[in-house]
Amino acid sequence: MALFHFSNYSTFEEAMIGFTAYCREHDLRVGLSHSQEALIAAQQGFSTDKQTLKYTLKSLFCTCEEEHTTFEKCFETYWGKRKHDYAHKIEKQAQSNITKKASASLVMMGFNPNKKENEQEEEEAKNVTGASKIESLKKTDFSKIAAIDNEILERLAEQLLKQLNHRLKRKLEATKKGKIDIRKTIRNNLSYGDALINLARKSRKLEKYRLILLLDVSGSMDKYSFFLLKFIWSLKTNLKNIEAFVFSTHLIRITDYLHQHELDETLWQLSHNANNWSSGTRIGACFKQFNDDYAKRILNGKSITIVLSDGLDNGEPEELSQELHKIKMRTSKLVWLNPLKGMKGYEPLAKGMKAAMPELDRFESAHNLESLLELENILSHV
Amino acid sequence: MIPEVNQLIKECDQLGYIVEEELATVLLLMLRIQKPLLLEGPPGVGKTEAAHIIASHLDTELIRLQCYEGLDVSTSIYEWNYQKQLLSIKINENERMSATEKEQHIFGDEFLLSRPLLKSITAKDKAPVLLIDEVDRADEEFEAFLLELLSDFQISIPELGTIKAVHRPVVILTSNRTRELSDALKRRCLYHWITYPQFDKELRIVHKKYPDLSGDVAQQLVAFVEYLRGMNLQKSPGIAETLDWANSMMALHANEFSKEYIDKTLGCILKSETDMRNIKSMKTESILEEIKS
Repeated sequence: MALFHFSNYSTFEEAMIGFTAYCREHDLRVGLSHSQEALIAAQQGFSTDKQTLKYTLKSLFCTCEEEHTTFEKCFETYWGKRKHDYAHKIEKQAQSNITKKASASLVMMGFNPNKKENEQEEEEAKNVTGASKIESLKKTDFSKIAAIDNEILERLAEQLLKQLNHRLKRKLEATKKGKIDIRKTIRNNLSYGDALINLARKSRKLEKYRLILLLDVSGSMDKYSFFLLKFIWSLKTNLKNIEAFVFSTHLIRITDYLHQHELDETLWQLSHNANNWSSGTRIGACFKQFNDDYAKRILNGKSITIVLSDGLDNGEPEELSQELHKIKMRTSKLVWLNPLKGMKGYEPLAKGMKAAMPELDRFESAHNLESLLELENILSHV
Repeated sequence: MIPEVNQLIKECDQLGYIVEEELATVLLLMLRIQKPLLLEGPPGVGKTEAAHIIASHLDTELIRLQCYEGLDVSTSIYEWNYQKQLLSIKINENERMSATEKEQHIFGDEFLLSRPLLKSITAKDKAPVLLIDEVDRADEEFEAFLLELLSDFQISIPELGTIKAVHRPVVILTSNRTRELSDALKRRCLYHWITYPQFDKELRIVHKKYPDLSGDVAQQLVAFVEYLRGMNLQKSPGIAETLDWANSMMALHANEFSKEYIDKTLGCILKSETDMRNIKSMKTESILEEIKS
């Protein structure tokens, strides 16, 4: 750790480059251009005073408010007095994160060490292997599929989801004729002299809905959460405007991790950063967190909020219904997808689910792919 | 604090804008290294105002582009004046001009309508301040479009070629964070987060804007607003709301910050029905007593 201190370098330039490297190590996204600009700023006289240097580098190195704390820690450690306690703390925190990850990733990959797979379920799953069984796979309950079938299911999901997006687009495009595009019209009619014969039109811009997905990853959802996560991930590759969160006892925003090109990469990052997998459920409290931290800037008249949860809740039902109401006021449609609804004779009797019912626009099942495809209807009728 | 920053703070103060050391440093840095500045923060904390002040500090023109969803090239950069072009073609019909001459004529400067972005880089005498307001409301496509402007300060128009900035404009972008901006855009900007001001600063702002308001009233008013901000409301009041409220006190000639007055004018500061109901049910007099103590 002692290496990361300005006193180890002989010139200011080297020290600045060292600081950039140090920041990079703490996940600030800084590159060559940043250290260059920092040096230019220093030449302009912004380095004569420690406070000024801090403000200068802060505005150069940070790209959002959340990074400020990390930056300040780095700055104090690096430019402050030698042997600062912060260095020790950052190191410690990094270590503790790693230990948490290993178990979380295991659970996420579908191998929960605490639960033994039912043999009968595996039996059923083997029966549905192979391309000719695609139709039946569509209807297989996620909870009954063993790891072998993941690949087929994933391919199918991708294919169906692509189709979904495609159809969605066509529907929106055909509905209305747009305005006349003068620029194009003139260009198209150049050959007729000054007579405008063929009118060019601007096609209506695609309405972009923002999809907000809240995925329950508590213990009771273990059987489904991996597939639903995969579902969210596929949606992300097809629809641009998505915000995703996972919740159990607390809420974690996972949108940033979905940007990866490979699902495995996403999962790896998730297991590093989402440590709320397979714990208890406090839906109301999580929604409150959502409302406090994110709702204002994420939800608007063009957003559809989808909750993926079984509604089995340990928290207060009043809080849940109150927070759901707040969400509903801000979003244009609130949909709850419940995997349990696919079971025969299921009634929303769990107290959490019961409290939520009056606030929902739609209440659908989410136990197999076909039910997920129902989403298309929901999305196109907003 | 370096002397230039101190001077900037003083100058802004004279112009009626109270600025903290950190923001002043960043503003100075923006002017020195000629990099765009991205200001983020909740609504009503003076992001747009900062651009106005910089413009009057530099004594230059402020060009403002208000972003909205669906903002496109023809409203933000340039548009050809089609009606005029068509008329011109008609008028010159019988003149012997070659096709190239005609084309050159109708795609000349007099037919070009410059919109804010083009205006900002073609300003002749002095670098203007370009304010791109609420950039988070524009589409991602538009953001990508800004990249060329912000890194090279040039704009390409197919009919005319690339136009380079005569003077590099001072660019300030503001965002309310209704969505995350792309990394590419952020990378090209300095970043500063403005948040709600401390009690003292806000009091100074109120005094600055409304010097006639009595000290006691202003103090209570600011304390009340600060109390509201701590209450986790649906929409927390910004500085703009505080100033509105102070202004309404002046307008109604109220000389006491009393419960009756607060209940009547709560609409100046709370913009949501639930918030209003919550505050009223909490009894304004108890809040008043709390802030007085």
